[in-house]
This record gives sequence, structure tokens and C-alpha cells, in this order.
Amino acid sequence: MKKITIDPITRLEGHGKIEIFLNDEGDVENAYLQIPELRGFEKFCEGRPVEEMPRITTRICGVCPGAHHMASTKANDAVYHVDPPPAAKKLRELFYCAHVMHSHIAHFYALAAPDFVLGPTSDPAERNILGLVNKVGLEVGGEVIKHRAYAQDIQTVIGGKATHPVCGLPGGMSKPITEDERKDFEEKAKSSVEFGKFGLKLFDDLVLANKEYLELITGDIYSMNSYYMGMVDANNKVNFYEGDIRVVDPEGNEVAKFKPADYLDYIAEHTEPWSYLKFPFLKKVGWKGLVDGKDSGVFRVNSLARLNVADGMATPLAQAEYERMYETLGGKPVHATLAFHWARLIEILYAAERLLELCQDSEITSPEVRTVPTATPDEGVGVLEAPRGTLIHHYQTDDKGIIQKVNLIVATVMNNPAMNMSVKRAAQSLIKKGQAASEGLLNMVEMAFRAYDPCMACATHTLPGQMPLEVVIRDSQGNVIDRLSQHLPSQPLEVRVIGP
Amino acid sequence: MKTLILGLGNPILTDDGVGPRVAKELQGRLDQQEATVMETSLAALDMMYLLAGYDRAIIIDAIQTVGGKAGQIYRIEPEAFDATRHTASPHDVNFATALELGNQLGMALPSRIDIFAVEVADTSRFGEECTPKVTEAIPLCVEMIVQELRSTTPETQNQSG
Repeated sequence: MKKITIDPITRLEGHGKIEIFLNDEGDVENAYLQIPELRGFEKFCEGRPVEEMPRITTRICGVCPGAHHMASTKANDAVYHVDPPPAAKKLRELFYCAHVMHSHIAHFYALAAPDFVLGPTSDPAERNILGLVNKVGLEVGGEVIKHRAYAQDIQTVIGGKATHPVCGLPGGMSKPITEDERKDFEEKAKSSVEFGKFGLKLFDDLVLANKEYLELITGDIYSMNSYYMGMVDANNKVNFYEGDIRVVDPEGNEVAKFKPADYLDYIAEHTEPWSYLKFPFLKKVGWKGLVDGKDSGVFRVNSLARLNVADGMATPLAQAEYERMYETLGGKPVHATLAFHWARLIEILYAAERLLELCQDSEITSPEVRTVPTATPDEGVGVLEAPRGTLIHHYQTDDKGIIQKVNLIVATVMNNPAMNMSVKRAAQSLIKKGQAASEGLLNMVEMAFRAYDPCMACATHTLPGQMPLEVVIRDSQGNVIDRLSQHLPSQPLEVRVIGP
Repeated sequence: MKTLILGLGNPILTDDGVGPRVAKELQGRLDQQEATVMETSLAALDMMYLLAGYDRAIIIDAIQTVGGKAGQIYRIEPEAFDATRHTASPHDVNFATALELGNQLGMALPSRIDIFAVEVADTSRFGEECTPKVTEAIPLCVEMIVQELRSTTPETQNQSG
């Protein structure tokens, strides 16, 4: 195979790209996923007061402001060596459960479900949320929109602002919630539990009951024997907001359990010349390249990883669903990449149940939501589970709390090695002997990547209103032989230049 | 007629902040009777909640086109996005899909949506300022929107503000 080096300039086209390289026989030799990276964030933060970070980091991207806000707030607690009062922690977790629900609902119903409900190779004109609603009923669309709105309302009330929360302070929260607000949240949480159950029922009826789909989930195309990482509580149950980080090997044995502040002892980052994104790996296992198995330090985060590292779910309905998933898929850990979707639905139910528990906690309306810090700030790490996986914020400040150094490791980067491998494996299984790859087959390659719910952290709102993904196929000489830009406008956007 | 002016974008991502910046200028130029002015970095699905309840919306956003000149201002009709409807981004649907879903679900979405887009140069570097050509386009874009608003709604004002 001809060696191909990719010019850095061609890497920055403002959209994600899957490049598939064929060999002389026309089979897939290699495949790469490229995600554009935003630059200059660390520089942007240096010299600013650390307590501003929870409000700045929400601007990294429009997809996960809640996760960055809370990770940053926790890093502030650590920088100021302050422990928030119990009510503040509960309020943060309540907010955070709503955030996870909000994110997971969009991903499943708008992005994942159409591949299954309409079919992975169905007409792309139908394979979207409109086609989904058309098939399963308008009322499902109504429920989706309603429960996303509930999750957003809760975040807005606690966060103090729609979209970009401002509630987190070192040592606690800016304000408590009132009894009226609590009651309102409780109703919304109850409804969300029902909606969580509904999602799993829908998955049963439309995906699991279909033999073809079940085979697709459990088959070789979308499988990877990797390590897994995620946060667990004191009982080793899944927790999004607080706990230790646990790592299991491809056989499911615990190989590490560590405090967030010690992350540098466990996670290292490899770089590749063809990608701006780094490739995190388990330091103690080592980087062996983009390969799976026990000898390779590649690990995965996000929904399925959290379930794989945990001993169970902390709420009853989610626990039952957790058990059912592992029974159906043949025990722990599950290596089926498409099962990230199933795990995401179980997490929606868990988040809703936990939300309800917190709404019914007698302490949740307590006015004691802040411990004012008194120690001199220096350095701190804040870690939580973003909807798409473990998220690390690490700050160093001077003794006035002014940022000197920032290190963020975001979930999409943690999954970068695995996403590349999943895309390559799917491409190798689906594209053979240089046959013209159909849109449907390429969509199935994309499904390998979509399961990770990657956040491209970019200008997702730059028109035409989405981050496009392009698939490029090159022959053994490096020439482009096929290009599928189903996510780019199929015809030029009609615009009128009106000035200057 | 209830009118919403919505500046879209990330205010700390260099030129991506052009929408919010135009919105901020408009806030100073218009009185509350004329329009409600907001800025957001929400994408399609969540934007529907903001649009609901208004008769008319004017959206300002950044755009990057092949061969476009930074600072150019365009008008785009929402129908133009039909070309991109049947697609999916990593974490959201696009504007046309969201709009159609909202309409199907009976959300009270604006019957008229006008989009002003400014061609941008840099949306991948963090910074609070737009690049020079884009900065120059801001007052012009503001003026165009004020004209547009006042020429199409001379009498009927923003009733409930």
C-alpha cells in the first residue's frame, strides 16, 4: 500500500471526515476518523480567575454545557480545598441527572433510533427523526420533545440561565431551590421515569424483537475487546456526578480504581501525525497502536463503558434493565459497540429515577448550599461522567486564584482511539473488493462511530446548522475514488448576497 | 405581531460570535415594543423552544461557503435548507428537520423566519473578537435588520413584548 501523508491544511475543513484507504485488491487497508479541533482554549483561560471557569467552559460547545459547568465547579472545589455542604452536592447531582437525560434523549431518538426503526440501509430521506415519528406515531415525537423540555426546565431553574448555567461556585451553589420548584421537579421526574420505561419498551419492540438487528448488535462488525473506564459510587454502582474512576479489562476484571486527582498516573496520551486529536491510553498497559485486546491500553468510555465497569445501577428499575441487558447479550462485559445505545436508554431510566429520589430528599430545599472557601487556592482536578464519557478538568492557579495552567481531557478524545478502530473494522467488514460502496453501507460505517455519540466540540451552529460528516474512499494510489457527503448539502445552498 | 431576533453562535469562538454580537447591537437599537432580542448557542432541537410563541423570527448566524468572502452578508429562506434536511449531525438534527418536527407536533412556530448570515473566516480559535472583515460587517448587518423590521412592520408592533 502506498504510504499517504495527509497535509495538515486538508485536515481542517470544519467537518468530521472518515477516510477509507483501499489496497491493491480493493479491500479496506485502513480507515481514519478525523475530527477538527478547536484551538487556543488553554491560552484563552490563562490569566482569568478560576471561579470564572465554570462559566467559560460551558462555551466550549453547545452540546454539553452542563457537563463542563459541573466538572469545572468540582475542579474549583478542589482548587480552593473546600467541601460543599450535602444539599449543594445533591442539588448539583439533581441538575446533572437532568442534563444527562436531556442529552441522551436527543441522541437516541433523533440520531440512533432512525438507523434501527427505519433500517440501516433504508432511504436516507426517511432515516431521520421525521421518518421515525412517521413510523411509530406522532405522539412519540411529542413525548420526546416534552421530556427534553422538562430536563431543560430543571437545568434552567437550578442553573440560573437557559443553556449556559451559572450556578456552580467553589464550595457550593449560588442559590437553593424553593418548595414550589421542588414540587414541579418531582412531577417532571415522575413523568420522566415513565418515559424512561417507554424507551426501553420501544427498544424491545423495534430492535430486540427483530432478529436481524439483534444479530447486527451482537455480530463481529461492531465488536471490540477493549478496556472500559467509568465512575462508580462507594458501592461500585454507576454514578454520573461523584465517585472513583474504575477500569476493567476486556474480561471484566477490575484493574484500577483511583481518585480523580490521580488521573495522570493512569491515563497517558499518544499522538499521531495525521490527527490533531490525541489518543489516550492506559498508562500501565501501554500504547500498542490502534489494536484491541488485553495487551493494548485502548479503553472506552460513555454509556456501555459505565455499565461494564460498575456492579450495577443504584436504582431499582434501571438495575432490572441492566440485568436484562447482560443476560440478553451473554454476560459482562459487553463488547458490542451498538449496545452503547441500549446502555444509554438504561441510563435515561436511571437518571430519571435518581432525579425523582433527589426531588424527594428532605434536604434538597435546604438553604445551606455553600461553604465559603478560606484556604489559599493552588491546584485541583474535577471529574465527572459527561453523557459521552469521563470528563476531566485540571486547573493550576497562583495564590490569588488566577489560572496558570489548564488541562482538559474530554470524553470524545478518550474514545478517539476506539472510534478509529470501530470505523476501520466496520469498513473492512462491509466494503469488499473495491465494489461501489452504497450510501447504506457507508451509513453502516458511520453507525460504528455514531454509537459513541461523539461531540465534535466545534461550530455546530455554523450554518447549515449542523456539523457535517464526509466519507472519502481512496484507492491504493491515494486517489479519491468515491466521496459521500450525505451530510453536506446535496445542492448549493440558495443564498442572496445582500452586502456589503 | 410578536417578533424574536435571535443571534446564534458561540461568543468566545472568534467569528462564530458574529450572531450574538449583531443581536447585542440590535438590543441597543430597538425598543422592546419592536422585538425581543436573544442570543443563544443552541442548535436546532432546542432552538424550537425559543421560537415557539412568536409570529416572526429573524435569525443571525455565521456561515462558511466555498469561495465566500469574509464579511459578506446573505439572506437565506428557511426553505433553502431543505437541501440538507435528510441528514444527521453527530448530536443534533438540522434546522429544517427540527422546524418540520415542531410544525408536525403543533408547536406555535413563527410563520415567517428570515435568516441573515455573515460569511466568516475563523471559527476554530477561541477569542472574544471577530476577525476584522467580519467586525466591519456587524454595523451593516444591524442596519439591514433594523430596515427590514421597520419596513415590514410599520404599524403593528410587538404586542406583548
